[in-house]
Amino acid sequence: MATIYDMAVIGGGPGGYSAALYAVRAGLRVVVLEKLCPGGQMALTSQVDNYPGFDQGIDGFTLGENMRRGAERFGAETVLAEVLRCDLTAVPKRIETSGGTFFAKTLVYAAGAVPRELGVPGEAAFAAKGVHYCASCDGMFYKGKDVMVVGGGNSAVEDALVLSRIADRVTLIHRRDTLRAEKISVKALESQKNVDFCWNSNVTALRSMENRVAVALQNGITGEETERITDGVFVSIGRKPATELVKGQLMLDPAGYLPADESTRTQIPGVFAVGDVRTKAVRQIVTAAADGAAAAHFAQEYLAGKD
Amino acid sequence: MKEWNRAQFEREIQGDKPVLVDFWAPWCGHCRRIAPALESIEAEMGQSCILAKLNIDAEPEIARQENITVLPTLILYRAGQRLGSITAPDAKAKIEDFLRQALGR
Repeated sequence: MATIYDMAVIGGGPGGYSAALYAVRAGLRVVVLEKLCPGGQMALTSQVDNYPGFDQGIDGFTLGENMRRGAERFGAETVLAEVLRCDLTAVPKRIETSGGTFFAKTLVYAAGAVPRELGVPGEAAFAAKGVHYCASCDGMFYKGKDVMVVGGGNSAVEDALVLSRIADRVTLIHRRDTLRAEKISVKALESQKNVDFCWNSNVTALRSMENRVAVALQNGITGEETERITDGVFVSIGRKPATELVKGQLMLDPAGYLPADESTRTQIPGVFAVGDVRTKAVRQIVTAAADGAAAAHFAQEYLAGKD
Repeated sequence: MKEWNRAQFEREIQGDKPVLVDFWAPWCGHCRRIAPALESIEAEMGQSCILAKLNIDAEPEIARQENITVLPTLILYRAGQRLGSITAPDAKAKIEDFLRQALGR
């Protein structure tokens, strides 16, 4: 007879492990299904300074490991496995993974978000070989080289700043003529002598050219088409929610997020949307953690038959 | 997981047992993220496959020789031959699938 958990958590980021921590402390039997490593997107952040309680900041990987250990101290289990399918309305809920099938009475969906791709021809062929989605991960390969950053938000400006200290030349390509990023980072970037800006430009295609990347650009105002050659392209145009797994079972908003209020309850009883996958105004580590606590609370209500 | 230097790498990949080498660097965030998965795979594979790490900052010639352009890169060797490679896997299952295919199991 397979184990039936009180709660299965899909995704071992701050939302998932907060739900697990609160649930195990309330006496529930909990398994966290994580495809790679605790921490989620946070694990790629070298310095987290906006999660309270760490006066010197903390690196995201360590914070993720600490969250895992904190939940496991009270009995949460972690399984490193990729979820392939889940049946949210089955009783108990059924989750098929690369590491076997799991059953649980409640399900916390905290799968997070992944970098958004440009979606242009040639992009896939370059994946991780000329086109990158994480400057702090792959930037070091471009020491003394020429790179481009695509995007105009906070993460694009941060990425361009990181790269300006490594690469010889950085060009920020943005489809508008102003940046959405916070002023303090924009100022820092503008003061870098090796950074250029290429405004009103959309990337339309990527192709290989003598071991470099040829980036086809179209001016959004004049329609003029040009091509620029660079050593590497860093795409930083935001994230998309990892909601493919529950598509068709749960309603998605137009951007692909799961509409749920602060209770994190979805339209399927016993299923909760936590962290970056949920429709919300502010997506931060601390708001994901808050969702986890709420989900654990309402999961207990559901299990007690009050929901 | 064991950490190899150049001499160990060149000797160990010649063996009859498959060897999965994790090319990493201390500054690579994603490399840290795959470490828990690799440790668990190492425990699950037992004696059937050797897993080891190679720091490309410490051994830049090997990185050039093996044409490492992305971190982390995992390369599977047997008897001195390269059986296959996978770069920046985003799930433990991707590494397991890669090993299954490359080893023909």
